[in-house]
Amino acid sequence: MDNPLTLKQRALIFASFAAAMILAIVPLPESIQLLRPDWAALVLVYWCMALPERIGVGSGWVLGLFLDVLYGSLLGEQALAKAALAYLTLRFTLRLRMFPRWQQSLAVGTLVALSDLMLIMIKSLVRGHPPLWSDTAPMIANVILWPFLFGILREVRRRAKIS
Amino acid sequence: MRRPRGLLICGKRMGTFLGWSIRRPSNLTKLVLVVCASVALMVADSHNDQGTRVIRDTALRASYPLQELAALPFAVGREALKSLRTNTRLRHDNVRLKAENRRLAVEASQAGALRAEVTHMAALLHGAPVPGYRVSLARALDVSSGPFSQRLTLDEGARDHVFLGQAVIDAHGIVGQVVSVGPHTSQVMLITDPDSGIPVVSERNGLRAIAFGTGMQDRLKVPYLTVTANIRPGDILASSGLGGIYPPGYPVARVVEVTSNPNLAFLKIRAVPLAHLSYHTHVLLLWPRNAPKNQGLGHG
Repeated sequence: MDNPLTLKQRALIFASFAAAMILAIVPLPESIQLLRPDWAALVLVYWCMALPERIGVGSGWVLGLFLDVLYGSLLGEQALAKAALAYLTLRFTLRLRMFPRWQQSLAVGTLVALSDLMLIMIKSLVRGHPPLWSDTAPMIANVILWPFLFGILREVRRRAKIS
Repeated sequence: MRRPRGLLICGKRMGTFLGWSIRRPSNLTKLVLVVCASVALMVADSHNDQGTRVIRDTALRASYPLQELAALPFAVGREALKSLRTNTRLRHDNVRLKAENRRLAVEASQAGALRAEVTHMAALLHGAPVPGYRVSLARALDVSSGPFSQRLTLDEGARDHVFLGQAVIDAHGIVGQVVSVGPHTSQVMLITDPDSGIPVVSERNGLRAIAFGTGMQDRLKVPYLTVTANIRPGDILASSGLGGIYPPGYPVARVVEVTSNPNLAFLKIRAVPLAHLSYHTHVLLLWPRNAPKNQGLGHG
């Protein structure tokens, strides 16, 4: 690549993923649990949009693998979903960047929802968990959260001069 | 926008792999590879494969700090809550214990009064529990109960004025008589000893009889009663005082079984001793009010 990232910048990206994973596994009361956004997915989408040549399918896959382990789910299901999400994001990066914020958040929400759909299908196929309406609650939370998360991460990226 | 180049030329960029210059795989290629890997992992994992377990363990170990961090705020909160709760509980305990302390102080003074009363009662007991007799508590040191001897060793002996043939009772009935006296200990032959015989009268009708030991702790026999004797199960046999060893009128046994065999002249009568022979550790020694006469032991 033309301008390799410094160690500090790499660490920052890694830290953002780590924070997303922590937020994803922080124990919450049952009532709020449903509305927990998919932090890891949103952060992944952001970095895929911002650094499409560095963060991509492979990073998504590794992230998903860690999520699988942390959630205790079937090894590979989150990995598959996150890799697919990264691929979709890379496909639409240019368009996503051009969208106004609200439209962007809808589009990102749709992408994450697609990967979630994949997860739901895998779960119902492999483990016989029936799809539930409550599965859509995090998708809505994603759409609401995205603009704020985008603002924060962009600020972080600019301050750290990651590009 | 920082990177107008975008992804569209991804496929044409070059990279190196093991020293060869190769085309970097496109995102689609990567996706296909990764999907294959994921599916393989899922299949392996759903069959509980050893390899996936290794991957899982390794990743879990790597992500351990994340889990710790995720649990940290809750752990801190729980600790704070716990110390708060402990504080509250300690205050409650303090109040409760103070109240209890006051109550116990009152009870302690009552206990003092009770102790005085007990001393008084004990004095009374030493005075005259059985009319015409002075009594003293003795502790059983040893019990030997077998088919040929049923003995009790007491912690009082000649020094305590225990004499041969002295009667021993407990709260429920007659226990036996002293058969050997040492300086500090003495041996009591229980009424269930095969050598023991005690003259009794039936409390119901005054029928005289002699109850012999059998060597079994819960059984006495009453032989030599003819088939016409008026005795039946439930009769209480009390000591008659004949022979002068046992105090008269003290309960000895209850008849439990009367068997009449037409071929025999006598009834077969079984009785159970009323004294709690197999329970107590304290018995009462009796001294007649008039000076103890050394009577030989025997069947009374």
